Amino acid sequence: MSSGMKTPVSVLRLPRGPEPNSRGFDPTSPRFIALCPTTLPSSSSSSGSADEEEQRLRAELRERFLRTLLLMTGKRVRFDMHEHVRVHARFGASDIDVLNLQVCDLETPLGVQREALLRSQDVIACSFEV
Amino acid sequence: MAMRQTPLTCSGHTRPVVDLAFSGITPYGYFLISACKDGKPMLRQGDTGDWIGTFLGHKGAVWGATLNKEATKAATAAADFTAKVWDAVTGDEVLTLAHKHIVKSVNFTQDSNCLLTGGNDKVLRIYDLGKPEAEPQEIAGHTSAIKKALWCNNDQQILSAADDKTIRLWDKNTKEVVKSLSFDASVSSMEYIPDGEVLVITYGRTIAFYKAHSLDLIKTVDAPASIHSASLHPDKDFFVAGGDDFKLYKYDYTTKEEMESYKGHFGPIHCVRFSPDGELYASGSEDGTLRLWQTAVGKTYGLWKCVLPEELSSENSEVLYCPPAEIKA
Repeated sequence: MSSGMKTPVSVLRLPRGPEPNSRGFDPTSPRFIALCPTTLPSSSSSSGSADEEEQRLRAELRERFLRTLLLMTGKRVRFDMHEHVRVHARFGASDIDVLNLQVCDLETPLGVQREALLRSQDVIACSFEV
Repeated sequence: MAMRQTPLTCSGHTRPVVDLAFSGITPYGYFLISACKDGKPMLRQGDTGDWIGTFLGHKGAVWGATLNKEATKAATAAADFTAKVWDAVTGDEVLTLAHKHIVKSVNFTQDSNCLLTGGNDKVLRIYDLGKPEAEPQEIAGHTSAIKKALWCNNDQQILSAADDKTIRLWDKNTKEVVKSLSFDASVSSMEYIPDGEVLVITYGRTIAFYKAHSLDLIKTVDAPASIHSASLHPDKDFFVAGGDDFKLYKYDYTTKEEMESYKGHFGPIHCVRFSPDGELYASGSEDGTLRLWQTAVGKTYGLWKCVLPEELSSENSEVLYCPPAEIKA
């Protein structure tokens, strides 16, 4: 490697490698679900009612999550993120896949960012006053 | 503060990586497919290198791989005398197109309706993916194995590079040669940039740029070592090249000056391509790995993070979350 006093660029993690026992193409990924809507889990299995109950609970949790996002709109939210980052900002909206969060007046060590996008995968938790 | 480039290594292949291609930018980001001599082409998330899936089915080395713009379809060319079309979302094999010899190159039209193939039987074939049972249109003329075949000029023409040391521009409808270029050495790679109609060709130590319509030479640049592949940045301010000496070179396109060179691979570099947003470039090597390199070293993008000096000694000790152990690449 070439020498030098330069600091190497930091990396969040290494790229994920292949799974040993699977060919991949995760059917639960947002892209798969969006582009292959006809792929539905079979309801003829013996644990059908357990599946239905899980489905109901999932739907309920999803609805709660979406309502929380709605309630968060316009409020000052504290975002706890990776690398000990904690910032405050006014929450605007999320994109359809909750990949990015649009915020205003993001308070950073460098100053207040009028408009910003936070990557959802960087956010560990958000808290706000109801 | 000058930063040192940290390439991201994508492991998983067990043999040399001989070809790679990016998709366009889709609502789910952009994607990367790699062709490998282990016969198992892989799909990865373009900005992180995260593995998404492996296309299983070929029975020989895969020499060429491509994605359509939307990353919904993939195509591969292999030593098992077939080209295959895949569903790039599910990973399922959709079509197997039998050929008479090793297939080296595959390329979709912009609308993903037609697939161009080329290989060791010296014949270009155009398949209508809407009528896969129909015989493909054939274009003959090359006198040696075809290395690379690409649609160009709005899918009305075809560019092909072969071991007969020529590059030929064909009209898709008349199947006639419109123009051809001859070289002293075999052309090692070809890249077509639709925006601006630029053709990037490598042969020997040379990276050459041509106008795609006329095949008029724009400029040539010579590298310190034999080059196997080069790619021009979407904004046409830099290009990158890699080859026999395992290094990746970055050049200023306007001044032709070498700006940087990067070590990292443990074998010759076979392919290099810029991502569709120009923020990174990927290289595939004889060492069986793909590496992702930043265009703007130090910028926060994908898995790379710009860390300010203050952040390295954090005062946020009251935060309860413990981050995972920092992995130094």
